[in-house]
Amino acid sequence: MRIEDEILVFEMLIQLSPKQAKLKEELQEYFEGLMTSALQAELNDPNHFEGGGPEFKKAMRTMGGDGWIGLSWKKELGGKELSPIEQYIFVETVMRTGFPFPFLTTESVGPMIAEHGSDWAKEEIATKILKGELFFGIGYSEPNSGTDLASLQTKAIKDTDGYLINGQKMWTSLANFSDYIWLAARTDFEAKNHKGISMFIVPTDDPGFSMTAINTLGDVRTNATFYDNIRVPETHLVGQPNQGWSLIKSQLNLERLALVNHGPVEELYKNVLKLASTTKINNDQYLTDLSWVKHNFAQVYSGIEALKLICWKQTWIMESGQLNMAEASVAKVYGSEFFIEAYRLLMEIMGELSLLKNNSELSILNAKLERMYRTASILTFGGGTNEVQRDIIAMAGLLMPRTR
Amino acid sequence: MDFSELSHQGEIRDSLDKILVEHCTPENLKKFDASFKHDDTLLSVLTSQGYLGLGINEKYGGSGENLYDLGILFERLGFHAAPLSLIGCLAEVAQTIQKFSEHESHQALISSILAGDIHTSAILEPLNQDPENPLTRARIDGDQLTITGTKYLSELASISKSLLVSVNSDEGVLLVLVDTDQTNLSQLTTTANTPAFKVDFEGVTTDRSAIIHVHGRGLDALRYLLQTSMVMRSYLALGITEKMTALIAGYTSEREQFGRVIGSFQAVSHRAADCFIDLECLRLVNQQAAINLNTNLDCENDALVAKIWAANACHRISYSAQHLHGGMGVDKDYVLWRYCLLAKECELINGSASQNIDRMGLNITVNQ
Repeated sequence: MRIEDEILVFEMLIQLSPKQAKLKEELQEYFEGLMTSALQAELNDPNHFEGGGPEFKKAMRTMGGDGWIGLSWKKELGGKELSPIEQYIFVETVMRTGFPFPFLTTESVGPMIAEHGSDWAKEEIATKILKGELFFGIGYSEPNSGTDLASLQTKAIKDTDGYLINGQKMWTSLANFSDYIWLAARTDFEAKNHKGISMFIVPTDDPGFSMTAINTLGDVRTNATFYDNIRVPETHLVGQPNQGWSLIKSQLNLERLALVNHGPVEELYKNVLKLASTTKINNDQYLTDLSWVKHNFAQVYSGIEALKLICWKQTWIMESGQLNMAEASVAKVYGSEFFIEAYRLLMEIMGELSLLKNNSELSILNAKLERMYRTASILTFGGGTNEVQRDIIAMAGLLMPRTR
Repeated sequence: MDFSELSHQGEIRDSLDKILVEHCTPENLKKFDASFKHDDTLLSVLTSQGYLGLGINEKYGGSGENLYDLGILFERLGFHAAPLSLIGCLAEVAQTIQKFSEHESHQALISSILAGDIHTSAILEPLNQDPENPLTRARIDGDQLTITGTKYLSELASISKSLLVSVNSDEGVLLVLVDTDQTNLSQLTTTANTPAFKVDFEGVTTDRSAIIHVHGRGLDALRYLLQTSMVMRSYLALGITEKMTALIAGYTSEREQFGRVIGSFQAVSHRAADCFIDLECLRLVNQQAAINLNTNLDCENDALVAKIWAANACHRISYSAQHLHGGMGVDKDYVLWRYCLLAKECELINGSASQNIDRMGLNITVNQ
């Protein structure tokens, strides 16, 4: 008898384990409780899309108190030391809710400071990040250093009581409500580009710090930040002098994976599907009765399936302690380009209704479609531009020669 | 969640490769280029070494009921452009009987296949876009079935002892085993030079014992057959596109123009990288579909996703490979051209990308 009443058990299942599924459920419940209507209203305000408002800060402190910050941190540093797949589930669940969780502060900068910071930094900074009380902006890019980040020119000159910092950073997101900047600065001017960089914790209340807002297509505010003779004590250096590049690079794969998490696009797909199937186009037909609408949904579905599997496989690779550069880049390129395609296909389905902004009469799904397409391009160049990722795929995946 | 292969699966891949490298030399493949025949020697080697038992229950002498094992066979056959079409026999007939038949006489067919006999399927019909709803009919009189209709693209039918045929009847869809001798075969000449046949059933008679499934499960069995076939075709596509991508990487890393290897031009390496991305996606959706079909006999959307990616990868990688090889890509003294033909076949059989997108769109929206 080989009919399905005989359940075959296989080792090779590609799905969440019962424990992981339980974590997902627990997180879903938790975030439903966290997303109060007051917080939701605040996050709909363009000034607070990315957080920083009072409700957001309150929610962060609640999460800190409940132990939901520091998931990637080692246990001895006060974290939960979740596995890569568990962290992925966390990111997925948070992103589905739309809460602008500051992953870079809490899950990248935080553990680096907790592990490599001075005693002051460990006590003052790391613990407060874990409590949800401190926020960081990331000071990597400069006007003339983007993809070629290692060419950065912001200077930190060592003198007797610390470092004197001068320079300018671009795209310093979240700086407008951050307490500190996680700053990459040049400390060795003789060494090769990437061997002369150090990492600093720079307070934004220093009189030498200033910024101007950069308003972007997606209504996400970012900033140009300026560092004019800012003096920081040696305790604000994180890691060894001139070893900053390895810190920057250490979390790259996890960061890239968080960028292309399949949660938000799947959430959007489900919401548009639900809406389209209840939207009447005449007395007895719904949008989903149109063949081209069905096709668009199927295209998005088959794309999401591939993205989910790519991301899951990445977490599985990380979990087993391997490093596969080509596959990490595949995730970044495929995910970022698929988002753009998916937003387009889903917008086509809702047609002109997708054009209505959030505050407009007749707008649909909180105008999520109207907003997402405007933010989509950031991921194809941000987080390691896709040209560089394709170079990596050709070299590491296909063993082709380096391009010049 | 586990993406690793079981230990025996790596061994299967390696040992299969050894055999196939030896058999699928350019000289040997040339013999089959216009013959519309299969490689009989290769078939007997694979039989004698037990590879026809991949994905088959141990009680028949197989490797165990895991479609991932069978996927490896098709992937490697595709990679080496082996002149051997076994999806009808191994994926459609053997797997469906294994899962749906309770009759010893049918199960004996599985043993017969493992011993090297071919029993293939006759499912597709010209101009019928919906294989779940066959135009071929069986008239039922008491115990007797009389089958009338036309099937095509039946692989290896001329050497097949029996044919598993999908028919409609007053009792719904049935899968019926028919002696090949009772049918009229004519050879078709297909683009990839594979041996495929048109099969005419002009009042072929048989009795109820030829129905392979229990009463009322004909459509379930046919759906399983079609899904397994789709996924195994996608594994064949994986091997074919894997090889084409490897050829791109190899050729562009050696070919020099303007004083440097062309693979060092970003325009070239990025097109190759896009092939790698398609390949990685195809590998993963195939793995998901094969593994889910192991425990759930109806995973149509997983199978469709696999076949959609397979069709798109076949198309895109084939033309990228031809383009990046320049004239070499179309030169019949080089190897690429055969893969391009096989890729087109894989792209269209079991439903094109557009057809399967249409099908999946129906599935997605019907339950809303």
